[in-house]
Amino acid sequence: MTATPAARGLPVEIRGLTKNFGRVRAVQGLDFTVQPGRVTGFLGPNGAGKTTTLRMLLGLVSPTSGSATIAGRRYRDLHLPLHQVGAVLEATSFHPSRRARSHLKMIALAGGIDFSRIDTVLELVGLSADAKRKVGAFSMGMRQRLELAGALLGDPGVLVLDEPSNGLDPQGMAWLREFLRHLAREGRTVLVSSHLLAEMSQTVDDVVIVAQGQLRAQGPLTSLIGNTTQSAMRVRTPEGDRLQALVHSAGVRSRREAADVVVVEGVTPENLGPILARYQIVTYELSHQGSNLEDLFLSLTAGLGYGATVPPDARTPQGPPGGPGAPVGQPAAAATPSTPAPATMPAPAPAPAPQPPAAPPSARPPTPEQPPGAAPS
Amino acid sequence: MIRVARAELLKLRTTPGPWVVLGVAVALTALGVLTSFVNGNGHHGPTFRAPQTEADLRNLVGSGYQAALLMAPILGVLCITAEYRHKVITTTLLNTPRREVVLLGKGVAAVLWAVLMGIASVVVVAAMGLPWLSALHGSVSALLHQVAPVVPGLFADFALLALFGLGIGILVRNQVAGVLLTIGGTFLLEPLIYALFSHLLHIRLNWLPSLAAASVAGGLNPGNGVGRYLLTWWAGALVLLAWGVGPAIIGYFTTFRRDVT
Repeated sequence: MTATPAARGLPVEIRGLTKNFGRVRAVQGLDFTVQPGRVTGFLGPNGAGKTTTLRMLLGLVSPTSGSATIAGRRYRDLHLPLHQVGAVLEATSFHPSRRARSHLKMIALAGGIDFSRIDTVLELVGLSADAKRKVGAFSMGMRQRLELAGALLGDPGVLVLDEPSNGLDPQGMAWLREFLRHLAREGRTVLVSSHLLAEMSQTVDDVVIVAQGQLRAQGPLTSLIGNTTQSAMRVRTPEGDRLQALVHSAGVRSRREAADVVVVEGVTPENLGPILARYQIVTYELSHQGSNLEDLFLSLTAGLGYGATVPPDARTPQGPPGGPGAPVGQPAAAATPSTPAPATMPAPAPAPAPQPPAAPPSARPPTPEQPPGAAPS
Repeated sequence: MIRVARAELLKLRTTPGPWVVLGVAVALTALGVLTSFVNGNGHHGPTFRAPQTEADLRNLVGSGYQAALLMAPILGVLCITAEYRHKVITTTLLNTPRREVVLLGKGVAAVLWAVLMGIASVVVVAAMGLPWLSALHGSVSALLHQVAPVVPGLFADFALLALFGLGIGILVRNQVAGVLLTIGGTFLLEPLIYALFSHLLHIRLNWLPSLAAASVAGGLNPGNGVGRYLLTWWAGALVLLAWGVGPAIIGYFTTFRRDVT
């Protein structure tokens, strides 16, 4: 799909947006901008106000105060809005007895869109063969794709998608990811909310993170991750005490996850690996706990949405695995998938090998800022 | 506006509900035709005679009156409540964010479909009534003389009562509640209110929807001897217009402008 001049991306601007439902403040003074040519992820825990914000942007919910505009205009003030904005809000807004083609025809008719676009978008989303089937017989994934077809009918420059990957199978998600990236490359503005952080981290350029109706972070994903969190190394070793003493003497923080597991914070495989080799610390496993979108999200929404208590047997002596910012009560969610140790990892030292002398106080392992080659001799 | 009305008509055409409503309206009209020819019960079942009087002939032409009273409001209710039931209202408002335009489009579509129901009822009368009248040696020309006084008003009944249903649907939004309210209101509430006021206070509430509709359609006999209290056709038309657009206007300023969450 090639962006026509009319379909060029337009900036989406949210300014001081507030919505109260009775006493409940769903959205509070939200401010952010979504730029054309980029995929922007709109993230937040359940009840953070994401859907309400998107619905205010699309004129379905009236703001209590503030504004949500597309190129400076409210959605309801846009002439033939489907030509400028396409939206996927829920995969259930179909009459089950209506056929897929009739559903799209209805949208095209109301939106002033040529019927020839119907076949184009059906083909785009892979539903050409199902066009004459009733929507009631569709799976959730097919409904989601039909909803996306409806959003694309007007060849819009702005796409607003609320949880578009719900119900999609892995192939569907991969297709959607590539498709959204493709739309952004065409210069369109893509704003997408999702709970699937791993999926979003592969898709988005920018993120907007909200919690309790308020903005927590906004910006390019890479710089936000770099600013907010840092990487750590997880070392499984029988010499935990020695390793901790070594890194402590270098001013590097570490914590004990288990009797034989030490997490060294603020280091990378490239600068910790050589140190382990140099000081001949027996190592069974070395894995990278790299920062990612999930870490960022959890650190910014810590303690929101779920109970603050955790069953005693789920606690670790040194705190939750995701670090101090991670919300307790989500056992695995905070843990980063392990990255296999690099091929250059030193081989485990033979067990009977004599213990090397303890590192002298001056022998400091490299800090994250130091290049690996700058390690002390 | 025309685009929106066409889209709303397409919605009606592509779901079974409006077709079922049309079918039931046809069946009710056929029942009305049958009733016009029934003379009484003999030893071997009902006996039939050709309608002779002007009032009987008008009732035959207006056999779709009961269908208009019941099915046209149900059509109006379905037009809007189906949107909320299946959440299509989200798609509708994304296509056309100006809600007053959506409401007007729905109104036009409901009126056109209701007029189609009216046409179908007249076709049923023609298909059943004319040959039957001839067979029973009734006057076909006398029947045709009643077309002009009755049929335009009957179409107006279908149209305005569909708008009335649309307004009810906007106000209640729930499909089951809307349909039950329409049926209950037409066949229970309205006769009850009329009877109470008539017997206790001697006030004839001839501006209630069914009586206003009877007066619009050439003074059809709505039964129970209330025919002589009907409004003139134009007064009935004004009253029915108020019933038609009043609830829709109230609904627009109350429920229809609410947030769609």
